[in-house]
Amino acid sequence: MAEKPKRLNLNQKYQLMTRGLDWETTYQSMDEVFPYDRYEGIKIKDWDKWQDPFRLTMDAYWKYQAEKERKLYAILDSVAQNNSQLNISDGRYMNAVKIWMQGVTPLEYAAFRGFAMLGRGFRGAGARVACQFQSIDEMRHYQTQVHAFSHYNKYFNGFNQYSRIRDRAWYLSIPKSYFEDAVSAGPFELITAISFSFEYVLTNLLFMPFVSGAAYNGDMATTTFGFSAQSDESRHMTLGLEIIKFMLEQHEDNLPIVQEWLDKWFWRGYRLLGLVGTMMDYMLPKKVMSWRQAWEIYWEDNGMALFNDLARYGLRPPKHHEAATKEKYRITHEFWSTIYQFSHATALYTWIPTTEELDWLSAEYGELFDTVYRPRYEYWQELHEKGERFFQKRLPVVCNVCQIPIFHTMPDDPLMNCCLVSEYKGTKHQMCSQGCLDIFNREPEKYCQAYIPPQQIYQGNCGGASLEDYRKWLHIKDEETGEYYGSEDHVMWEQWQAQAAKPTGVAPAS
Amino acid sequence: MSYQATIEPLGETIEVEEDQKLLDAALRAGIWLPYACNHGVCGTCKVEVLEGDVDHNEASAFALMDVERDEGKTLACCATLLSDIVMEADIEEEEDALNLSVEDFVGTVTKIEDLTPTVKGIWLEIPGDGIEFQAGQYLNLNIPGVEIPRAFSLANPPSEKNVIELNVRHVEGGQATTYLHEQLSTGDKLTFTAPLGRFFVRKSAPEPIIFLAGGSGLSSPKSMIIDLLENGDERETTLVYGARNQSELYYFRLFTRLAEEYDNFHYLTALSDPAAGDDWEGARCFVHELAEQRFDKHFEGHKAYLCGPPPMIDSCITSLMRGRLFEEHIFMENFFTAADSGKPARRSALFKKF
Repeated sequence: MAEKPKRLNLNQKYQLMTRGLDWETTYQSMDEVFPYDRYEGIKIKDWDKWQDPFRLTMDAYWKYQAEKERKLYAILDSVAQNNSQLNISDGRYMNAVKIWMQGVTPLEYAAFRGFAMLGRGFRGAGARVACQFQSIDEMRHYQTQVHAFSHYNKYFNGFNQYSRIRDRAWYLSIPKSYFEDAVSAGPFELITAISFSFEYVLTNLLFMPFVSGAAYNGDMATTTFGFSAQSDESRHMTLGLEIIKFMLEQHEDNLPIVQEWLDKWFWRGYRLLGLVGTMMDYMLPKKVMSWRQAWEIYWEDNGMALFNDLARYGLRPPKHHEAATKEKYRITHEFWSTIYQFSHATALYTWIPTTEELDWLSAEYGELFDTVYRPRYEYWQELHEKGERFFQKRLPVVCNVCQIPIFHTMPDDPLMNCCLVSEYKGTKHQMCSQGCLDIFNREPEKYCQAYIPPQQIYQGNCGGASLEDYRKWLHIKDEETGEYYGSEDHVMWEQWQAQAAKPTGVAPAS
Repeated sequence: MSYQATIEPLGETIEVEEDQKLLDAALRAGIWLPYACNHGVCGTCKVEVLEGDVDHNEASAFALMDVERDEGKTLACCATLLSDIVMEADIEEEEDALNLSVEDFVGTVTKIEDLTPTVKGIWLEIPGDGIEFQAGQYLNLNIPGVEIPRAFSLANPPSEKNVIELNVRHVEGGQATTYLHEQLSTGDKLTFTAPLGRFFVRKSAPEPIIFLAGGSGLSSPKSMIIDLLENGDERETTLVYGARNQSELYYFRLFTRLAEEYDNFHYLTALSDPAAGDDWEGARCFVHELAEQRFDKHFEGHKAYLCGPPPMIDSCITSLMRGRLFEEHIFMENFFTAADSGKPARRSALFKKF
């Protein structure tokens, strides 16, 4: 009997299917063809040492993704047909979805662009292919999110101008500037910022609150989208790990560069996630866990375990991570207090938490919450009940780096505002923290060019200098902004609840 | 009730308890499979079941698609076994693995010798064809009155098929090692299962070799070094060994003699905490520090084999990596037996082996 040929293992199969698909260019030098992958100073001795973090062929990719789409859209159809908007925990929950739609969905599109650039930018074929797959994934995530949320757009305010306000709304420059900072860096910094710092180190702090939050709050569309995306995230995360190991193992000169990037992108990512933490603590009527608890699990335990392992390469934990940990008791309260005062200038509604919710926050955050934030909320609640709902009459000063309003406090003093100033070329630039100040001072020429929305608004470049003119320029109706209680969303939700409470229908005539 | 899973392309067979997840069983058996989320939503741990049946349990429909279920794929982090299986995972084949079959043996104790005040050498005679193993592998020894077998590395070279040597450190209060130190006598018979483990010299890799060993972790390196030298291997081979004090330093004369006899073999030792009366003019430091001195903190271009207590291994990995020798060039002994029930310390998915 002829001996059965030995089975090829997965690696051998992949090698056979993909070999020879890349070549050294001859008409033009490789440096001309790939002009951007050296100027950052990252030295790659041998691109062949790149370990493909996943071995996937285009053929298999289409097959898997097509099935994911079929499943997702079957569920989105049923969400629409079953009026699943009625099943969410509370009308206020929808503001968490608005945050995602306004702030995160456009990032998926930005990531699609970024990875398309990377898919062209690296001279190593393995890295290029991985980035091309991820680019298509990001486009898919962007599209499926828009489709998932489009059902809610039929009923709730705040969704319909998402692509316009992404570029125009002052508060959405927080996520937007994060990504634009990354895509305007070189290819290695971009992939470190997104694939490693964000997708690997901080991803659980983004996905867990939104996807578990959606599941807890009866939002089938978002939950299903989340599962569909998470099966792609595993590839994105392994790409993040591979790029870090690859850079560190290729040349010792890469270590200090990578360390600076990890310092920078940890802090930028952490600042951005403050928005997510605020969503967790305040916008989810049914809580998954508090920001403090999530930070302890996903950063203090998991994140530090990762940096303990990275220490073998000579990397240390990112600068200012201790400050981030000190802020875990307050950052979401400071953030919510700020959004509360400025929500007449956002396409979101805000509110004072119910007594029951304040008690939950007290239990999760302890004395600092009870002495500093709770009394403030109770005071604002009193004002609201007197018909004097508090709004700020002006727009805030925002940080020149993270673009978050300068509301953060000193790491060791939660009652002292932190505003740090750097003077560059005769202009003063304000930063919210030592972390952001360091980032500014490392690349002042980059950040002095940042587009700072409140400044532009007051200069009259955004439809006019009054809030009314500005809202018109955003194409946001007054009814879409401000206080939740009494809003169109609230009134509609109450009507739905009243209908659900009534006996339905009339007995059919016999 | 348990089933067996044969993991291709390694060809290794592991036991999987009825309600145990396949990934958990593999990791506990010292076989690393790629994984990330550990609860069925990401798909990183996808493997192919070639023979037999599994239950996919809570694997997400998005992470394990219907077409994949039809093709026999499963997620190792969720799968439990419904029969014995043969599976293929995305792991590299080891060119130098002989994949010798595991057998049960009976050995007769022929000699017991004090190597140090805390370490005994135990020699067992095996009749007939003796035992085949790769230098560096271990056995699981059944000890009278002790429920779970204990793992010990074979300290003799594979050329000595009929007499095997074990080095046993007495663990204070340890049931098994107390028996071996206090009750075992020549003429006793012991049963064991061998050969086990994937710790062996990658002979096909041409790089010079560094052995870093500490405490009673000298068994495997001893077997591996003698095996290399007696087979005429000419690459530069260095053993860096550390003990606490002079009385714990064993096989000093053996390795000193080998270093004199073979130009390509180098032997360095350090004591970390010499006793008052020690007549010691050599290095006083830890193994990783001595290695850093010897190689001037530059290990690139070597293969390193590590054996010893966990803190020593940990320091050595860091020294090697900071000296630019990375995971694919570092090998270490991992024994896993049923006795290793404690959860490993929290770590990230950054490394496969460490």
